[in-house]
Parts: sequence; C-alpha cells; structure tokens
Amino acid sequence: MNAVWLLMALLVLSYLGSFLVAGRSARGVGLPSGVEYAALGFVLGPRALDLVGSETLAAFEPVVQVALGWLAFALGLDFGFAGERRVRGESLALGTLGALVTGGAVAAATWITARRFHFGATGTERVLLAGGIGAACAETTRYAVRWVVERHGARGPLADRLNELAHADDLLPLFAVAVLFALEPTRSVAVQAPLRDWPALTVGMGALLGAGAALLMRSELRTEDAWGLLFGVALIGIGASARLGLSTLTVSFFAGLAASVLSRHGRELRAMVAPTERPVLLPALLLAGARLDFRASDALPWIAAAAIVARIVAKVVIGWAVAAAAPPARKGGVLVGLSLLSSGALSMSIGLVFALRFPGAVGDTVLVVAVLSATVGEFVGPVRLRRTLRMAGEIEAAPGSAASGART
Amino acid sequence: MSGAAAASKGRATHASHAALLAVFGTLLFFLARKVPEAHGAMGVIAGFGFLLVAGTLVSEMVAPLGLPHLTGYLVAGIASGPHVLGLVDEHTVKSLSPVNTLALCLIALAGGAELDLASVRRGARSLAWAQLVQTTAVFGALGGTFIASRSLIPFARTLPVGALIAVALLWGSLAVSRSPSATLGILSQTRATGPVASFTLAFVMASDVIVVVLVATVLGSVRSLIDPAASFSLGSFTTLGHELFGSVAIGTTLGLVIAAYLRLVNRQMLVVLLALGFGVSTVLEYLRFDSLLTFMVAGFIVRNMSNQGGKFVEYIEQTGTVVYVVFFAIAGADLDVPLLRSLWPAALILSAARAAVTWGASRAAARLAGDSPMLLRWGWSGLVSQAGLTLGLSLLIAREFPSFGTAFRALVIATVAINEMVGPVLFKFGLDRTGETRAGSQSFPSMRPPSP
Repeated sequence: MNAVWLLMALLVLSYLGSFLVAGRSARGVGLPSGVEYAALGFVLGPRALDLVGSETLAAFEPVVQVALGWLAFALGLDFGFAGERRVRGESLALGTLGALVTGGAVAAATWITARRFHFGATGTERVLLAGGIGAACAETTRYAVRWVVERHGARGPLADRLNELAHADDLLPLFAVAVLFALEPTRSVAVQAPLRDWPALTVGMGALLGAGAALLMRSELRTEDAWGLLFGVALIGIGASARLGLSTLTVSFFAGLAASVLSRHGRELRAMVAPTERPVLLPALLLAGARLDFRASDALPWIAAAAIVARIVAKVVIGWAVAAAAPPARKGGVLVGLSLLSSGALSMSIGLVFALRFPGAVGDTVLVVAVLSATVGEFVGPVRLRRTLRMAGEIEAAPGSAASGART
Repeated sequence: MSGAAAASKGRATHASHAALLAVFGTLLFFLARKVPEAHGAMGVIAGFGFLLVAGTLVSEMVAPLGLPHLTGYLVAGIASGPHVLGLVDEHTVKSLSPVNTLALCLIALAGGAELDLASVRRGARSLAWAQLVQTTAVFGALGGTFIASRSLIPFARTLPVGALIAVALLWGSLAVSRSPSATLGILSQTRATGPVASFTLAFVMASDVIVVVLVATVLGSVRSLIDPAASFSLGSFTTLGHELFGSVAIGTTLGLVIAAYLRLVNRQMLVVLLALGFGVSTVLEYLRFDSLLTFMVAGFIVRNMSNQGGKFVEYIEQTGTVVYVVFFAIAGADLDVPLLRSLWPAALILSAARAAVTWGASRAAARLAGDSPMLLRWGWSGLVSQAGLTLGLSLLIAREFPSFGTAFRALVIATVAINEMVGPVLFKFGLDRTGETRAGSQSFPSMRPPSP
C-alpha cells in the first residue's frame, strides 16, 4: 500500500471516527478503548498481511507524532473536567493516587520480571521498560466510563465519582514519560543539561506554549483564525519537542492544560477541540497496531502477564481506597476497583511514543503490553462497571439490558 | 470603549502578539542551531506550526494599515524563510508542498462554486471583451517590453533576433496569466460581493483556461525560432485537448457526486475536502488531467446544478482559511530574495509595464462593453496578481528550453514576487473603494459550540 492509499484509508477511519463522536445513532458501535482499530492495524501491518509496509509506516511517523500530540493537547485542555463540570479536588487526589499506585505496581512487577528473564543489556533499558509499561498502564480511559454511563443512562453519585476519577489520572503517567525520556537524551541535541533539567524543560515548554495560546486567544478572533493559532501552537510544541527528543505527549498535554487554566475561554476551547479527539485517535490506533511486534523479546509474554496481573491487583486496591474516601463506592462491592480497569487512548499513545522514541525491544515491548492491557481491560472493565453501577442502583435493571450489555 | 482606548488596546494586543511571535521564533532559531538536520520531519512540523501562527498574527498586524491578510501571510513567510531569518529552512518549504496541492484544490473548488451562471451570463459581454482586449494587449505589449528591456536581462543580451522574439512571445504569454489563489484569498477574507468581485473572479477563472491554451500554442510555434532543427507539431494540441475535455468531464461528474453528498449526507466535509485535496488530486495527476480546471468545474456544477452551492462555499471557507495561511506563507518563504535583489531592475520594469497595460486594457475593454463606471474604474485592480500558475508554466518552459530556461524562470520568479506582493494590495484597495467588502465571519469566542 503506498502512502496515498494509506492516507486515504486513515481519512476513511477519521471519517468513521467523527461519526462515532457526532452520531447518537452510532452509539453502541465500537469499543471504548478503540483496541479493535489497533487489531485492524496489526492485521494490515508488516507482521501480518503486510499491506502497510515498514517503509510506509516510517513515512507516516510525523503524522503519528502530530496525531498523538494533538490528542495529548486535547487531554490537557480537558484535564480536571468531566464534561462541563470541574472535577472535585478529592477526585483529583484519588485519581492521581490511583495512577501512582497502579503505575508503580506495574512498573515494579515489570522490573522484577525483566530482571528475572535478563531483559535488556543495561539497567537503563530495564528502567525504561518498567517505567514505560507502568506509565502506559496507569490510566483509566475516560471513554469507558462515559460510554457505559451514556449507553445505560446511569445517573448517580458513584457514576459521577468514577467518571471524575477517569478524568483525573493522566497527569502522573505523562510526567513519568517526560522523566523516562530524559534518561536517554537524543544524541543529536547539542545541549548538555543535567538529567533533572529535562523533565522541567519538557513541562516548562508545554506551559510556555499553552500560556502563549491563552494569550493569543484573549482577543476577538475569527473562528478560523482561532483554529489556526491553536493548531499552530500545538504543532510548534510537537515539532520542537520531538526534535529535542522530549516527550511530545507531555509537552502537548501541559500546553493544553496551561491554555485551559490560563485562558478566559477555556470552556470554548474545550468545546472546539473535543470533537476532534475521536477522528484523530482512530487513525493513530491503526498505525499503532501496524507497529505491533509480538516477537519483540523472548520475555514479552512473562512481562505482559506480570504487568497485567499487577494492574488488576492495583486497581482492586485503589477501589478500596475509593470506597474508603467516597461512601457511594461502597455499594459497588469489594471489586469496585475493577470498574476502572479499562485503558485505551492514552495508554496506547504512551506505548506508541515509546516505540517511536526507543525503537527495538524496549519500545516495542511497551507498545505490545499497552495494547494487551487495553484488550484485557476491555473485557473486564465495562462489564464490571455496569455491574457496579447496577449494584449501586444507578442503572435500572431492564429486560433488554443483558443483551445490550453483551455488546459492551 | 472610546476610539482612543480601542486603538490603545489594539496596539497592546499587537505588541503582545509580536512578543509571542519573537518567543516562538527564538525557539525555532534555537532548534535550527542546536539540533541540525537530525529529525527533518519534526522540523517540518514545527515550521508548519510557526508559519501558521506567524501568518495569522502578521495578517492581523497589517490589517490596520489597510493591507490584506494575504500580504501578512506572505510577509510572515518571507521573514521566517530561508533567505531572511532562516527559521524555516528550504527543506521545510519543499516538504510542505502537499499543502499547496490541498490549497489549490480548495481554491479551485471555491472559485467554481462562487461563479453563478446567471451573473456570468449577465456579464458575458464584459467578460468576452475583457478577455479579448487583456489577452491581446498584455501578450503583445509585454513581449515588446521584454525586447525593449533586453539590455537589463543578462540572458537576453546574447540571444539572436529570432530567438529573442521567441522568448519575448513566451514572456508575453506568461504575462497574460493571473492568480486564482490571490483572488480567492482576498475574496475569502473580505467576503466581497458586487460587480468588481464577480467580474474579477469570473475573469481570472476563465483566463486560467485561456492561458494554458495560449502557452501551449506559443510553445509549439516558437520552437523552430529557438531551435532551427525543430519542426512544428500538432501532437501537443491533441494532448492539450484530451487534458481539457477530460478535466471538464471528470469535474462535472465530481461536482454531481459532491452535490449528492451534500444533499444526502452533508456531514464531515473537512474529511471529504481533505480526501478530495489529496486523493483525487493524486488520481488526476496520474491520469494527467488539469486538477485546477477539474475542481473549478466541480465547484461550478455544485453551485449551478444544485442548491448546495452556498453551503459548499461555507464549508470550503471554514477549511480553507487555515490552509491558505500556510499556502501563502510557504509562497513567501519560497520567495528567492537574493534572486529578486539581482534581477530587480528588469523585474520592476516588466511588472510595472504589465500593471500599466492591464489598467489600460481594462478601461478600453470596459468602454467597448459599456460597463458601469465602477467596473471601468476598478475592474483592473484584481488582475495584477500572479502566483503559482505562472510559476508552474514557467517551469514547463524551463524544461522545454534548457539553454535559457533556468535564467528565464529566475526572471519569472522575480517578477511574480513583485506582482504577488503588490497585486493583492491593489485588489483589496479596489474592493474597499467600491464598497464591496463586508463584515467578517463568526468569531471566537462568540462562536456556537459544535453540534453533538
């Protein structure tokens, strides 16, 4: 498949994605994590049908970087908000704690397994692997909670709380990515700086760009010009950070966050950008899937198993913390934490940026584990979430609900 | 808010925008020095973003001076391009050429969709006279000016008389070309409606076809003057006929498909326009059809064979603005400033002569057609711009005649640079003076939120 055909295919996917966002009639189609697009990408990619070859994938690397950067920018704009509402401080703290515990547990399990199976030639490689997988597995995808809530018309304090938690756990994994990228600075950059300065530079660059975008958005602009400025600033951030070997995801996320916080028109900015998320996400997932290499290392099956088990355990523990802090969660039962097991866009995005930044065993393993974790989460998370909300009396048990639930 | 306070606030806004631009520029400057060529594609992305931001901001800064946005885009591109500040390097400019493909598709679609058959019919007499007089006068007079100013043109000094006449004819044929992109760029910004806007649009779009035919005719005719061993061939006309008729046929089909889509689905036009810009353009290039003509016909069909024209133009404008900023900023960055510096006397004479002849021919044609005083006075203002089409044709000539082609193209580039800068300013000035410009579009942050 040449570049033009792949571009057309990606546009078709983007077209479908925009229908999934906009069409109420399309609700019920697709999976919250979008993992089926990654699977499609794998089937089309060089390790299966080879319709999308390695050279074409390499040619599309800048497109992937832009897509991932834009998604992170949208995520940053939306961080701390669940729909129109601001996330409560308690949920923000719980979400961050959840990401820390989950990411930490997964990273520890991965590190132990990697050492046991002699993964990587250096300690830095093992740290990158463990940290990368930890960061990729830390989040709960916002889509999963929102989709279950929308499909089943869930209303109540527990649904709100879980929705808020899913909207509040992105900060830490993205900061972790910035730190991990600093462990191996790009050799082509003629700047010498201590390790601790690189994450600060990453966050600082994002904040500076976001503040700039907020300043630009102060004046009355034509809508088209507003789009131009926002997109332009995001592209400067993506291009500059990738060129410096910094995490594009982190820079873009903090740019979005700063723009949202500092702009008087944060609500309008979020309303502008939110509909673009899904159309950008699906092509990115397809390209992520095409890069999947299940033979990245001999230790991969063990590492994946360890990471996924650690994630499940950590989420259960987080569920207890949530139940302790928020009484409505107690109605969801002892396994309420499994409701937060779904991962998706951010998880696979982190996997993909690792695959791009650290080509080879480390990057490929992080990407594969991120996709496998999202797949497992897809089977467990929404089902458990539905049951939890039903136990809490926030979903009415309807005769047809079992059938509709089977689709989830 | 009082006028003085508003002006002060405007100055403060522009100052803060200029400061931000300097910050972004410094970042790019730092990158260019500290990370040389390591990640070419990433530099292209940052360059794209910078051109977008710089073009938008500079266009806002020049607006109080009465200059069109397009001039701001060009200035931003020139300043940040490889020949001035070097924030955007040559590799980036070349790598962004797909944006030009998309922009030309949108420009042609919008151009066709703006052409209303009824008003074209009403103005047919004006158009016919204008095309006839402009084409004849500019072709003849600019050919003559080229010969007259040969002492200022290094490569022309040594040419024998026959070859000099041939090159002058080629120059005359290129001088007839106008700029659909500049015309649409100005109309998109000003949203002008009225006789001058309609006349200019119809004239420029129709002249696209005339120029292609004229250049092909001159190319076939002058070959034997330049190369005595060459003979006259009708083969190129067969190819041209195939290209033109094929383009019209495909454009008609495409227009009907777009109209049906707008009527039946009418959603996600951004993606559809991107697919048209990249996918259909590639197919047309492969089939060797003229994409500009094809898309123009498609737009014309949507406008005149369905009731979807207004909606279609709105969609294109929403998508196009961002694309136009980068398109014109790239054109500015691509402008060869050192070349312009070395050829400016000849380029200036040729550009001035072309503008003067265009002005005179416009008045003569308007008198012959019995046009309104407004058209008689300002009808020429949109016909001075030249841009991509002229450069494309000059490349064709350069390939056909390698002995002088490179130098000839250099002079074309220098002349187009002047016309590209001056033409849009004149057109905007003309539209402002005739009162055809009108209020802008929906603005941020008062825009409506996107539909669910």
